[in-house]
Amino acid sequence: MEILKQIKYKPARVAGGYTDRILRVDLGRREINIEKLPTDFKDKYTGGRGYALKAIWDGTTRQTRYDSPENILVMASGPLGNEPGFPGTGKFIVGTISPMTDTFIDSNVGGHFGPLLKLAGFDALAVTGISEKEAVILIDGDARTITIAEAPQYDKETDDGALAFGDRLLKEVNNGQYSDCLAAVSAGRGSLHSRYGVIHSLFYDRRRHRIRAKQAGRGGTGTVMRAKGLKSIVVRSSLSKANGNHPVDKKGVRAAGRALKQVINKADPTQLHLSAWGTTVLSEYMDKFHIFPVDNYQYGQSPDSAKLFAHVFLDNYFSKRIPDGCYYGCNLACAKGAENVELTRGPAAGRKVSVDGPEYETVGAVCCMGIFDPQFVMEYNWYCDQYGIDVISTGVTIAFFMECFERGYLSIEDIGYELKFGNIAAAERCLHQIADGRGFGKVAGQGVARGKKWVARKYAARNKASQDEVMAELDKFGMEVKGLEFSMYISKESLAQQGGYGFSLKGPQHDEAWLIFIDQVYQELPTLEEKAAALRWFPLIRTWFNATGLCKLHWIDVRNPEAAATDEPSKNLPTLAHYVDYLNATTGSHKSLQDILDDSERLYILQKLINLRQGKGTRANDQLPLRAMAPAFFNEYQSRADYYDRWLGQNGGVKKLPASPKQRHKLLIERRRRDYQQLCDAVYQRKGFTPEGIPKREIVAKFGLLDEPAQQLLSEMGV
Amino acid sequence: MKVTIEFLGTQRTAAGADRVEIPITARSRVDDALDYVRSKYPQLKLVEGMVLVVVNQHIASRDQVLKADDIISFLPFISGG
Repeated sequence: MEILKQIKYKPARVAGGYTDRILRVDLGRREINIEKLPTDFKDKYTGGRGYALKAIWDGTTRQTRYDSPENILVMASGPLGNEPGFPGTGKFIVGTISPMTDTFIDSNVGGHFGPLLKLAGFDALAVTGISEKEAVILIDGDARTITIAEAPQYDKETDDGALAFGDRLLKEVNNGQYSDCLAAVSAGRGSLHSRYGVIHSLFYDRRRHRIRAKQAGRGGTGTVMRAKGLKSIVVRSSLSKANGNHPVDKKGVRAAGRALKQVINKADPTQLHLSAWGTTVLSEYMDKFHIFPVDNYQYGQSPDSAKLFAHVFLDNYFSKRIPDGCYYGCNLACAKGAENVELTRGPAAGRKVSVDGPEYETVGAVCCMGIFDPQFVMEYNWYCDQYGIDVISTGVTIAFFMECFERGYLSIEDIGYELKFGNIAAAERCLHQIADGRGFGKVAGQGVARGKKWVARKYAARNKASQDEVMAELDKFGMEVKGLEFSMYISKESLAQQGGYGFSLKGPQHDEAWLIFIDQVYQELPTLEEKAAALRWFPLIRTWFNATGLCKLHWIDVRNPEAAATDEPSKNLPTLAHYVDYLNATTGSHKSLQDILDDSERLYILQKLINLRQGKGTRANDQLPLRAMAPAFFNEYQSRADYYDRWLGQNGGVKKLPASPKQRHKLLIERRRRDYQQLCDAVYQRKGFTPEGIPKREIVAKFGLLDEPAQQLLSEMGV
Repeated sequence: MKVTIEFLGTQRTAAGADRVEIPITARSRVDDALDYVRSKYPQLKLVEGMVLVVVNQHIASRDQVLKADDIISFLPFISGG
């Protein structure tokens, strides 16, 4: 490898979970700088998402786009990342200005990269600039060097592959050996041709004797990475991971970790049993309650869904009896994988590969395309990973175009083939075209928001129709908000989840609020006020997980038995108490749960300010496609007419339902639209926002965020 | 009269069946169905506070009276990733 720039450095020691250092690399100028953070920085911005938000707020402008040199690609763990004594501490955040949304996106990802980056001396890495040559960054805490090097060239298949290139590089920099002292991030050729490229987090799994991959999947982080001319980053540290955070109270950390592990060991096997089944177990429950996003979220169930239930993958693909955590000490270990899966399709047909997954979201993306073939799920999973593209956005975008084709907005002449629901060959062809930037893949690689405009132009020109009118129809079923595709849950029967998607600052990804079951099934949020309260509380606590380097699943998907005796069981407060103990023992703080929520609210408001600056922060930007609120078309209404008529009878506000089904469908849409607007009002009020969804000055000031740019921005907004 | 008990997810593997039909009387309640499953399928570990009982897709109380052809399932807590 040709070294383009190298510095020597002395890795800062981790103390109380922090190094208080950010590594800044400018690929354009080939500059490497280590920034020592002021002592109060961590108090204000916590870590992870908080550090990424602060970097983006200070270092970019409203003109910054994903491929602007000044855009910053931030990777940051958090003070609680890297503690094998506590489960789920391998998470780190990738944050940047997104090619999908043109505003801040972050995606959390597991693996060893975040912990090793911290052991190598850095709470965060911030990459700016655009490299003239394709580059890699090597952060070597053992050799005490940081290097920008020209990306090595192997062979075409390896160089193109997001998995293959990172795998090879990890070996090359370690004398041909895998080691768990090294980890990498990488992006593949799909990131060069689509807006939804992912960043892989690659780490060596001793049990499987191979490199495994987790993904920072949402919002095009990989596309940003490749736009910077950056193919991979490798980090190395041989420092001990045990007690690597040098916590203030080592015994306290152990006690908190032991307590949480006991809850997981006791409760998970009697609940979802994620440790054995992984997240694919969700498919069946989603199907049962009409939440499985079949045929572009039209139908929540299918007679074919059982072909994609968890036992199919467990029986036929997953390696059994391997604890599959993505970081040491995790006893939930939900990251399932399969070995020797023979590919039957595509350019790699005939090869036997290892597949990391599928997760529920991958299964959901495949059913979204109307496909119910588990072998295709495995191959779709592998190809998306190898190309380095997001399984969710890829599936939802292809599904959108499938529906455009079936509803007559697109023809074979537009696409080149019959892109219909359930057509595996067509879906697969589109997938490869997206990764290669060929044919219709050039359009599909842009995502749903841009795809809608393309279809509207084509259809309007061909039919001499109004583009605006066509766009209004496409807006009914183009499943995106703020430019990001929905994750894999149907929200139309849960008003709270409609808010969970609509108000989500990054776009409709469920990691801010997943309230479907609490609302629709458990019926714990019967009133508008209770929904609004949940839509304030859950995003704040979930933000905290993304700021501290922690996985949320141990809290949110394993109900502590003691929660049943609390006033609000769905908050799982007895488990959160272990997290508060862990935080205080690590950092030496004396925080309460409310303090944590306040810390998170500061980050939430800062993210809202970035959205406002980037033109994605007002009420108009929180609006949903019709299908996220109601059956958008009559066929969807018909598929559950009895249910919808009952709903109208209870919630329609009319003494007598209209006689004709089409009139009832129309009334249903009116009611659902009205309900969502009422929710907007209630939630904005609860959050201290104006009716336009803009934070009031006193809220911004309360969290110490009313700097000069914020004041100017709010003035422009009339606040 | 009969009701159907559906086994979902990991329960199906533990029970070795997709569903089972059980006879009820006019006075049978959710608790009776729960007792039946616990006695016939002890391996299911339907622990108090760990699962919710769902009848016809609605959360049911333990003393809810069952009707003919009800479909009962046991739901773990799901709160999203």
